[in-house]
Amino acid sequence: MSVSARTVGIAPECLRVFTDYDADFELEADAVVVGSGPCGAVVAHSLAEAGHSVVLLEEGPPFTPRDFEFEGSLSMARTLREGGLRSTSGTILPTMQAIALGGGSLVNSAICVRPPEFVFEEWSNRFDLEHTTRESLNPHFDAVADFLGIAPTPDEVQGRRNLLMKEGCDALGYSSEPIARNVRGCRGSGECFTGCRARAKQSMDISYIPEAMRHGAKVLTSVQVQGILSDGRRATGIEGQVVEPFTGATSHRFRVKGKVVVLAAGCMATPILLQRSDDMANKSGQVGNNLQFHPGVAIAGIFPDIVNPQFGATQGYQSLEFLKDGFKLESLWAPPAVAAVRMPGFGKALLERFADLPYLANWDAIGSTHRSVGTVRPRRRGLDPNLHWNLHPEDVKVLTHALWVIAEILFAAGARKIIPGVIGLPAEMYSLDEARVFQSHPIRARDLVSAGNHAFCTTRMHGDASMGVVNEFGRCHDFDNLYITDTGIFPRCPSVNPMFTGMALAHRASQQIIDAL
Amino acid sequence: MILWLIITALIFAVFYRALLGYPKPRRQYNVLARREVAFLNATAEVLFPADGAIPFSGLEVDIPNYADRFLSALEPRVRLQIRALFMLFEHVTIFLPASGISGFRRFSALKIEQRELVMQAWSQSPSFARQLVFTALRAVLTMGYLGHPIVARHLNVAPYDIDTPVCEADLLYPPVGGHRSEILFTEADLTPPSNGTPIDLDGPLAPEYLENSMLDGRATAEGGR
Repeated sequence: MSVSARTVGIAPECLRVFTDYDADFELEADAVVVGSGPCGAVVAHSLAEAGHSVVLLEEGPPFTPRDFEFEGSLSMARTLREGGLRSTSGTILPTMQAIALGGGSLVNSAICVRPPEFVFEEWSNRFDLEHTTRESLNPHFDAVADFLGIAPTPDEVQGRRNLLMKEGCDALGYSSEPIARNVRGCRGSGECFTGCRARAKQSMDISYIPEAMRHGAKVLTSVQVQGILSDGRRATGIEGQVVEPFTGATSHRFRVKGKVVVLAAGCMATPILLQRSDDMANKSGQVGNNLQFHPGVAIAGIFPDIVNPQFGATQGYQSLEFLKDGFKLESLWAPPAVAAVRMPGFGKALLERFADLPYLANWDAIGSTHRSVGTVRPRRRGLDPNLHWNLHPEDVKVLTHALWVIAEILFAAGARKIIPGVIGLPAEMYSLDEARVFQSHPIRARDLVSAGNHAFCTTRMHGDASMGVVNEFGRCHDFDNLYITDTGIFPRCPSVNPMFTGMALAHRASQQIIDAL
Repeated sequence: MILWLIITALIFAVFYRALLGYPKPRRQYNVLARREVAFLNATAEVLFPADGAIPFSGLEVDIPNYADRFLSALEPRVRLQIRALFMLFEHVTIFLPASGISGFRRFSALKIEQRELVMQAWSQSPSFARQLVFTALRAVLTMGYLGHPIVARHLNVAPYDIDTPVCEADLLYPPVGGHRSEILFTEADLTPPSNGTPIDLDGPLAPEYLENSMLDGRATAEGGR
């Protein structure tokens, strides 16, 4: 049965949009959930389904297909915080955080991967998390997978760009597989990053959130939570202001009181909220520390025959062959203007590279860069973070190794040239021999043109209250009823795309919250 | 007295050369100032020249129109950062002059050959900061260039027309910033969800990317300095 069929009968008053607010207001509910991204949406749905009153708050507006922009930069300017131009200091790493109902699920490529056993073993052993094993989380992964229809990308909508990756991996004997995604009825439009016009991607705004509303959850959009209210060891609610979409202008004030407060504002916003609320839940001193990313590096391959890269699932194929070496490989597409931004040069040389776009397949690696950590701190004003992060030299080696492997696979798949996009290396390479420069040339952190779109660990879980912010079920050590359920609670980067793990952990936390209520 | 007059005249000349005397744009922009229009056109002409592998130049696709929409969509603080980037590149040649006797001018007032040399110097600079500035500037203009329908069509990367199913959420959400009265659909409009039929590569393009679309029209009418 489709989600559409299941959610018929939602009361319109369950949702408030910007134009609905005309005065200050106060609400009360069993649970207040801050952030409507994948983790917050799961919690709101689970609690509402269990019969509890829920208020879900989101700073961004809901987007409809009428609001989607084809042009990558315009889409990013509207759906991402700071216009999609956020970046770290230290090692400069562009990073993103969505501001929309449904959070990042509206503009991500829907990848759902369960981390391998060794990731949970590391988490468990290093961070004193005895209940956080792959086996214990499997029922929660299953519940999310069933709800969202998570399944491997079918061949019909892979497109040549994705299947070439399989060919290259096969030729070299590397394992590869279709990527499992929260998608129903993908048509291969390659538009995951700018909003799925086919309504196939089961982003939270069309899946968990309407279903939560059907169970009575109230969803407030265009509201900025600015502080958490507390009394001793109990969080009593939140307060904030209505915020106009895009301009960020604030107006009416509001308070929502709740028996339980759940923070799922994302690992770059939740610590800011805590820090802005008298540095609450921070006896461990870990709030806003330990920031980790999966920095991504990519190489464009130019093939002799037409690839038609705009057709096919945005990210349809992956290889987990090198997970233990520290990286995961994926095929990748983005709006052409974004995909081409990394092409070097200017003038006629640049136009020649653009003219190769129909022949292009772009593959990336995301690195498990455990050694590279940073911080999230509030700015003097506002709720956007100052991010500081440094890529460790050993992790540079991991990413350089990943680039070499991508080059290998591209040439094995038949690429006639590759565009490595690394500062200090040749702009184009025509053979694997030329690509050996990855193994011989010393590459520095700042030479890598990278981006970090998965972020974690800023409110990490730890069995020891002096070492972490929350316990393994998401409850803050310092509070009886304050929970955090976004990727900030990961103790370490998960080596694979984090959305599915975050949702599974949020699903598990929901069961604890239901018991507590 | 004469000395003061000379100094004043010199200051005025420097001031004029740096900040004034920009041509009036041929159309009104939402947020772009005339100096930014001149700068963007001057940069686009060098980044995406007329006789390259793609038969549309940066001037023809009206980069300022794209930049105007992009800046309008950004929150004020970020908009300021992008404008500062334009300003920096436009005026840096006053302090790091381009080659030749007339190189001591703002970027948009330089001859095209001089602008090419400036671009080359920035793109190949050993200074990380200069490379970063160049890459950021090129990224903004590249998105405008490749995002234009005539270029996207030429490269066969324009989005296809897709029948968007109407789902339950579409009965709930008005367009961003809009009123509930602007919700287009009722329960009677619900359609079956996507059945996963791959898009037809010979099928029509999205309306915004069809030949003679509004964006195309703007390019033809407004392109060029």
